[in-house]
Amino acid sequence: MMTDIQIKAVSKRFAIDRSEILALDDVSLTFPAGSFSALIGPSGCGKSTLLRMIADVIAPSTGSILIGDHPPGKARRSHEIGFVFQSASLLPWRSVIDNVRLPGELSNKQGSRSPEALVDLVGLNGFEEAKPAQLSGGMQQRVAIARALALDPKVLLMDEPFGALDEITRQRMNVELLRIWKETNTTAVLVTHTISEAVFMADTVHVLSAHPGRLAASIAIDLPRPRHLALLQSHAFNALENQVRAALFAKEIASGR
Amino acid sequence: MAADAMVGHIGSLVVRRLPPLLLLVAIGLVWEAAKLGGLLPITVPAPGAVWTALIDHGGDLVYHSIATLGAALTGYVAAIAVAAALAGLAVTWPISERPVFTLAILIDSLPLIAVAPILMLWLGNGTTLHVIVAAGAALFPLLVGMIQGFKSTDSTTRELFHVLSASRWQTLTRLMLPNALPAIFSALKVAAPLALLGTLIAEWMGTDRGLGTLIIYALFSFNVPLVWLSILTVCALTAVSYALLAFAEHRLVDWAHPRGTTGGRST
Repeated sequence: MMTDIQIKAVSKRFAIDRSEILALDDVSLTFPAGSFSALIGPSGCGKSTLLRMIADVIAPSTGSILIGDHPPGKARRSHEIGFVFQSASLLPWRSVIDNVRLPGELSNKQGSRSPEALVDLVGLNGFEEAKPAQLSGGMQQRVAIARALALDPKVLLMDEPFGALDEITRQRMNVELLRIWKETNTTAVLVTHTISEAVFMADTVHVLSAHPGRLAASIAIDLPRPRHLALLQSHAFNALENQVRAALFAKEIASGR
Repeated sequence: MAADAMVGHIGSLVVRRLPPLLLLVAIGLVWEAAKLGGLLPITVPAPGAVWTALIDHGGDLVYHSIATLGAALTGYVAAIAVAAALAGLAVTWPISERPVFTLAILIDSLPLIAVAPILMLWLGNGTTLHVIVAAGAALFPLLVGMIQGFKSTDSTTRELFHVLSASRWQTLTRLMLPNALPAIFSALKVAAPLALLGTLIAEWMGTDRGLGTLIIYALFSFNVPLVWLSILTVCALTAVSYALLAFAEHRLVDWAHPRGTTGGRST
C-alpha cells in the first residue's frame, strides 16, 4: 500500500548562457515506504532540483527515478504525487474550500477524504469561504497542504514549505505536519535549510553538498515518535543536530575556517 | 437596527457626494452670471442655453447617439475578439509574439485622422467604416493588456498545474484567464473611450447620422450651444461606459483588491 522512492545514479546538468552547470552529480538514494526524509544542504546543492525531478517537473539528465513501480511521469499522471511549494501558490480568486477542490476538478477524481474533511484535517474549519488574501502565511500553507493531499497521493513532496514563516509559526506547523503525515500514510520528503527542522521531522536526514550537488551523508534520526516540541531541548536531539552540522560544514571544519 | 444602518449608509453617501455636486452647481451659477454680464465670448454659451438646446434637440441627440454607440460598440467588440485571438496566439506560440506586437504597434502608429479618408475611399462612408476605425482605435491597449495579463501567471502556480496533470485547456481557463482579468479590465477601460473617439473621427468624414455628424453640423451652422451639448453627450457616454466596466470589474475581480483582511490568527 505504501510506496518507496528510488533515486538511481541521477545527475542533472543545466545549460546557462552556453556553459553547463552540473547541478546534481550521481546521486543514489532510497526513501523507504511510509518514511519521512529530509534533504538539507546549502543553496545550489540541487535539493529542490531533485524534488522537482521526482515530481516530473523536470527530467534527470542521466539516471532513473522510481516511485513504487512507476517512473515520475506515470506517477504524476496517476495522481500519486502531492507537492507543496515554498510559496503557497493558492488561486487568489478561489476560496479556501475551492482551492482544496481544484485537484479533484482538474482530474475528475475524488480522494478518500472530502475537501471539507481535508480543511478540517489541516485545522482550518470555519475558514472554508475565506479568500487566500485574508489568511496569514501559515494558514495559506495549511491550505496548500490540504490541496496536496486531495487525491490521496502516495508521496508528499515539500519544498521548504515553511521557509517564509516566522520561527514560532514554523515550529507549530512542523508538529501539525507530523500529525497529518501520520494520518495520511504518505512517504514524505521535505527539503529544508534548517537543521533543527530536518532533525525534528525526519527518520533520515540526507545532507547534500554544493557545486556539484552530491550526497555527503545520510544520518538516521532514531528519536521516538510521536515527537513533541520538548524534544528540541533534549541532549539526544542536540547531538543529532551537531552530527548534521558536522556533515554540512565538513570542508570548513577541516580547513579550520 | 437595519433601518438605522440603511439611513446611515445613505447619509454617508450624501456626505460623500454632496460637496462635488455643490461645487458643480456653484460653477454653473457663476458661469451663467458671467455670461449674463457679457464677460464671456460668443463661442462660450451659458449653461442655460445648453439646457435649452437639450430640450429643443433631445430627439436628434438620441437619434445620432444610437448610430454612434452602435458603431463604437460593434467596433469595440470586434477589437476585443481580434485582440483575444492575437493574444492567444502570442501566448500559446511564443515565436509569434514579436510579429503580433510589431503589427499592433504599426496599426497604433497610424494616425487615425489621416488614415480614415483612405479607408473611406475603399469602404465608402457607411457603418463599415465607422466600425473598422473604432476597432482600430481600440485594438492596441486591448492586445497589450491581454498579453501582459496572460503572461503574468506565476511560474510556481504553472508548475502546480503541471504536477496536477492539468490539460492545456484547463490551464488556460482555470489559471491564465482568471489571472489575466485585472489586466484585461484595465485594458477594457482604456479602450472604450478610444472606440468612441474612433467612431467620431470616422463620422467627421461626412455621413448623415452620428454624433460626429451632429458636431460638424452644429459647428457649420454656428449653433454653439448644440456643439457644446454634443460634446457633453460624448463625455457622458464615455463616463457611462467606464462606470459599467468598473462595476463589472468590481463584481468579477473582487479578489484582486480585497477590502478587509481578518489577519489576527498567526498560524
